[in-house]
Amino acid sequence: MTQRTRNLLLLAPAGTWFLVMLIVPLSVVLIFSFGERAPAGGVVPAFTFEQYANLPARWAAFRNTLFLAPVGTIAALLIAYPLAYYLAVKVDPKWKMLLLVLVIVPFWTSILIRSYAWIFLLGGRGIPALLGWIGFEDIRLINTPFSVLVGIIYGYLPLMVFPLFVSLDRLDKRLLEASSDLGAKPWRTFAQITLPLSVPGIATGCMLVFILLMGEFLIPALLGGGKVFFVGNALVDLFLQSRNWAYGSAVAVTLVVVMLITVTIYMRLISRLGAHREDVSLM
Amino acid sequence: MTKFNDYISKQKFMEELYRYKRGSVTRRHFLNVTGLGAATAVLGAAVPGLLPRPAFAAGDIGDRVILATWPNYHEPANFEAFTEATGAHVQVNVFGSNEEMLAKLQAGGSGWDVYVPTNYTITTYVSEGLIEPLDASKLPNYDASAFDARYAEAGSVDGQLYAVPKDWGTTGLAINTAHNGGKAITSWKEFFDITRDSFSGRTMVHDYQLTTIGNALKYFGYSFNSVDEAELADAEKLLIDVKPHLFAISSDYQPSMRSGDAWLTMCWSGDGKQLNTDMPEIAYVLGAEGGEIWSDYYAIPKGAPHMDAAYALINFLLDPAVNAKEVLAHGYPTADANTFALLPESLRNDPILFPAQELLSPLEFGAAQTLTDPNRAELMARFKSA
Amino acid sequence: MRLYAAFVYLFLYVPIGVIALFSFNSGRHASQLMGFSTKWYGKTLSNPFVMDALETSLIVAFVAATCATVFGTMAAVALQGIKGPVRTIFDGLIYIAVMIPGIVIGIATLIGLVTLFDQLNPLIAAIWPNGFTPPKLRMGMGTLIAAHTMFLMALVVIIVRARLSGMDRALTEASSDLYATPFGTFRQVTLPLILPGVLAGFLLSFTFSFDDFIIAFFVAGTETTLPLYVFSSIRRGVTPEINVIGTMVLAVSLMLLLIVQVLLRRGGRKAK
Repeated sequence: MTQRTRNLLLLAPAGTWFLVMLIVPLSVVLIFSFGERAPAGGVVPAFTFEQYANLPARWAAFRNTLFLAPVGTIAALLIAYPLAYYLAVKVDPKWKMLLLVLVIVPFWTSILIRSYAWIFLLGGRGIPALLGWIGFEDIRLINTPFSVLVGIIYGYLPLMVFPLFVSLDRLDKRLLEASSDLGAKPWRTFAQITLPLSVPGIATGCMLVFILLMGEFLIPALLGGGKVFFVGNALVDLFLQSRNWAYGSAVAVTLVVVMLITVTIYMRLISRLGAHREDVSLM
Repeated sequence: MTKFNDYISKQKFMEELYRYKRGSVTRRHFLNVTGLGAATAVLGAAVPGLLPRPAFAAGDIGDRVILATWPNYHEPANFEAFTEATGAHVQVNVFGSNEEMLAKLQAGGSGWDVYVPTNYTITTYVSEGLIEPLDASKLPNYDASAFDARYAEAGSVDGQLYAVPKDWGTTGLAINTAHNGGKAITSWKEFFDITRDSFSGRTMVHDYQLTTIGNALKYFGYSFNSVDEAELADAEKLLIDVKPHLFAISSDYQPSMRSGDAWLTMCWSGDGKQLNTDMPEIAYVLGAEGGEIWSDYYAIPKGAPHMDAAYALINFLLDPAVNAKEVLAHGYPTADANTFALLPESLRNDPILFPAQELLSPLEFGAAQTLTDPNRAELMARFKSA
Repeated sequence: MRLYAAFVYLFLYVPIGVIALFSFNSGRHASQLMGFSTKWYGKTLSNPFVMDALETSLIVAFVAATCATVFGTMAAVALQGIKGPVRTIFDGLIYIAVMIPGIVIGIATLIGLVTLFDQLNPLIAAIWPNGFTPPKLRMGMGTLIAAHTMFLMALVVIIVRARLSGMDRALTEASSDLYATPFGTFRQVTLPLILPGVLAGFLLSFTFSFDDFIIAFFVAGTETTLPLYVFSSIRRGVTPEINVIGTMVLAVSLMLLLIVQVLLRRGGRKAK
């Protein structure tokens, strides 16, 4: 047996699996997206661009997603960065591991249950009640874009902290010391040394969170009260409510294409910024 | 072991049910009962002699049956009794809309044995070949003559029986009167007007095009079932205008109404009954303009994996003594005269369960076309994403 | 800085605390604290629907993570020694599998498999011997495991490869120069080196599968996994049962983490 045959044999199970569970389903979605809705739901085979012509009817969902996904990603980044910096650079090494694990622990409770906690916290008997107590009456938080944003940040913060921490932790502390010894102001050290060196972490973290947010369904469904509508919610409705498989397939194909385009542009930008490709391509 | 399941007399059982219904809904009881069920099963497995002896050979119908139904819609103790009697465990899947049920069945992967469709869906299931014709001889408890025809006729299509009636109900509104000076409102017009006024941010509408669009149509006095483009355009304008004032678009309104986050909601009568029982300040009202009246059925989907168990379960639930317990739990009226006779006096005269005839007469049954109309589905999507 | 960190930890832990606190609530409504009690733990543990869902989730996560780890590691090792179109295709497949949102994977698997089964079922029925009921392919645990495995396999390949790329090629070459069989080389040289990656891949896969909601939402058929059960409970609201499930899952994962930590430390000592 040559090495090549052996390698191909080793690849066979994974290849078959990808074929049956990825290529076939995605092809079916692509084919259906050119079909027509059957009168009672489902799909009739056809070759028409009607479904794609209809896409503007879901423009609002795409707009919401394309707005809240980057905003959520950047918000998570802004909150996570100082924490990751603190953990990587400032904290006593004795406590480093423990504090890091503590960031990840909440991630082990399913996102469903964590969102459920926020339903209570943002609901009338949670934070608004506390605010009412100190004089801010009638504040409504639950079922608003704000509550969805809180859920998103909360849900994905650990995913952002971790890659940031990894890249900041690799940073040679002597560089920082040298910089301050040479009389550089702290913010200058940060802008010229720390920040550029942490770009791979920023890139990975943002991409992870962004990809997950683009397909998000649960957080808007639970914390948005059905009023904050993402592409994910539109897809669920199209397949599980109005049963318009043809149109739903077209929306799904469009979502994938939009993601491929944004992520590819994003990777280009990042690699131009000088990040190492291997670090980014990890996800 | 059996003291809880076979236990107390029917009288005592009714009282028990009433007592916990006043303080709480079915869930607690559910957990109580199912908890005991699990204990029995564990002990039974360890000590063969303790296994509950089925009333007829367990092998007959298999060991499980899968029921697709609605939230807060059954008496869990009845399922325990069914398991006791037949050896088949009941697995319950819960759904929020008929569209969702239809979607899962059309996707071919349901694997359900019994499901609970609403009147206007049955012709669609028949034309799509998704429903099994019923053999009435396997349902000895089904006494067709005892059912009010209004709530039973949708179960037959072209003379063939496909579904047997479960219960019926209305779609009205529930309002927390404490926030409206102790007064309820009386119409869909008021529903949408008060939402844009003093109830802003406190109102819920269903995540279900049939009722949400239907009731918006009633605001203008149009038919609940309208698929007329101009009328739907009016309804859309109203809904999009109201949307910023809504608390949520969701068919699961009980938690929010109970917690006080929501004050007003579109509401199915059984939920209205459950809410009103626990919180008397919540009133259930039928819109003066009309609205929906519906009836739900038991049916078997095509290719059900446990056909015999499916028949056994439906037959069991149609037993008037069992059905009466169901009614006490879910708070919807029955169309079965035999079951009605077993209900306590107070329930038979309950205005939420059995509204006065003049309130019922403007109500409309949903139509098959209303459910499957693509324009209504798209309208709902535009409303939700607006 | 320290204050800021404390604030973020507060943000992270207040909801967890709320979940845990309300799991000891004696009232039946999740939103009103009535007094301390552990009765909901007893009720949840004896609720057969919760236990069924837990069992389903554990089976699915275990089988999917195992398949994904085995096939993913095989693929990662093979890809090390392969170039040309096969490599390009696999790189592309892995990229797509990780990039595509879970919701699209769920939907595509659902309609793809339903369409496939519609074609296959009559075929199976046709070739099945007369007198026996032919099996019917349908959505269920099998399809859920298959869908999870697909996605997780891509994840394992990425993780194991990251480990492999840091490995010294000279080692395997030396091994084969010393006439070790390919399998022997793998077992004695490659595997020990990539083992942490393989283990990490397995644990991550298990966690992903155990927590997955959106793929299961579409492809689970009649099966109910724990996240699906929790989702329908949340929609219907009420009862501290959800809090109990959350608290217990958290407690068990913490315990597992401790055990793994201890084992790794011991293993590390032995290796030295």
